[in-house]
Amino acid sequence: MASQRVFQLGLRRAAVPNFLKLQPAGRMVQRRLAATDTVSQTTGQEILAKQRLQRPVSPHLGIYKPQITWLPSMFNRLTGVILSGGLYLFGFAYLAAPTLGWHLETPSMVAAVASWPAFAKISAKAFVAFPFFFHSLNGLRHLAWDLGIGFKNITVIQSGWTVVGLTVASALYYTFIG
Amino acid sequence: MASIMRPGLLRQACQAPAASQRMLSTFASSSVKQSSPFAQHMRPAFARSTIPKSTRIAAFHATQRQQILPPLPQRIEGTTNDPTPVPDPTPAHGSYHWTFERIVSAGLVPLTIAPFAAGSLNPVTDSILCALLVVHSHIGFESCIIDYFPKKRIPVIRNLAHWALRVATLTLGIALYSFETNDVGITEAVKRLWHA
Repeated sequence: MASQRVFQLGLRRAAVPNFLKLQPAGRMVQRRLAATDTVSQTTGQEILAKQRLQRPVSPHLGIYKPQITWLPSMFNRLTGVILSGGLYLFGFAYLAAPTLGWHLETPSMVAAVASWPAFAKISAKAFVAFPFFFHSLNGLRHLAWDLGIGFKNITVIQSGWTVVGLTVASALYYTFIG
Repeated sequence: MASIMRPGLLRQACQAPAASQRMLSTFASSSVKQSSPFAQHMRPAFARSTIPKSTRIAAFHATQRQQILPPLPQRIEGTTNDPTPVPDPTPAHGSYHWTFERIVSAGLVPLTIAPFAAGSLNPVTDSILCALLVVHSHIGFESCIIDYFPKKRIPVIRNLAHWALRVATLTLGIALYSFETNDVGITEAVKRLWHA
């Protein structure tokens, strides 16, 4: 019914000479066929609550293209959690050691590590070195941003790749040589 | 309901770019611009598209809609016309905290470089490094809790996590104090372990 009415309206308007010139930008003016309604506070709240449920939710991270501008930021937290988590675990173990009969004094730990095969030593060193150097170097970048330095997109990209490069170089150096 | 009554409005809301519209259209193309309301109205009823444009566009969004964290039941405080409350902009609610974090982080920079230059740190400097590491780690974990345990969604778990972190940080403080006083210090220990 409504569409028929609009069709009639259109015909009637088309029949009027020079109607296109009269209308702004050659468009038909809408005739609003809906009526407004006064509702109670409670109904209004219900409608609003229902509308809020329809609001869009942030999409999952997976839809974004991996970019140097946001990936290091994510890894900064990840590496920080790895490093600090290791420190916390060591602290708990160190306090519990006398009760549990473990030996976590430096000389006994050094002796234990010395008996490991080379592969285990290198893996352990790499597992510590990569997060440590990344978090330290990327932390400098974050501190620079906090001072308002290096905010241009190209600078962020360049400094990001610089941090990646320096991390790989220094972590490999301290894993195998230092 | 209202949108059914206003097909013209609906058409405007669903206007797509010209190219995709041509691909999506189900009727034969003509020289008249099909998207103009005038053309739609002048076309006989049977020649108008039987499928609403919104449906034809929606068909293109073929990926599954995943509700990972669907919104909770909504609770409206006050009346429907009240604006969202703005938090009190006191520096004590963030700005001082932020500055403190940066001071700790910046303080860690020389203390991290020094052992690489000097071999290891003397006991006093090593203790300062440990203290800053404890504070820095605590702040970092605290940010993680604030970010990943939303107050509105899981208030109890968030509180538990906060208290667990406080206990853990205190324990770490005691452990590092014990390590610093009874053992060789954290930089010296790392150095010896690294060259073991």
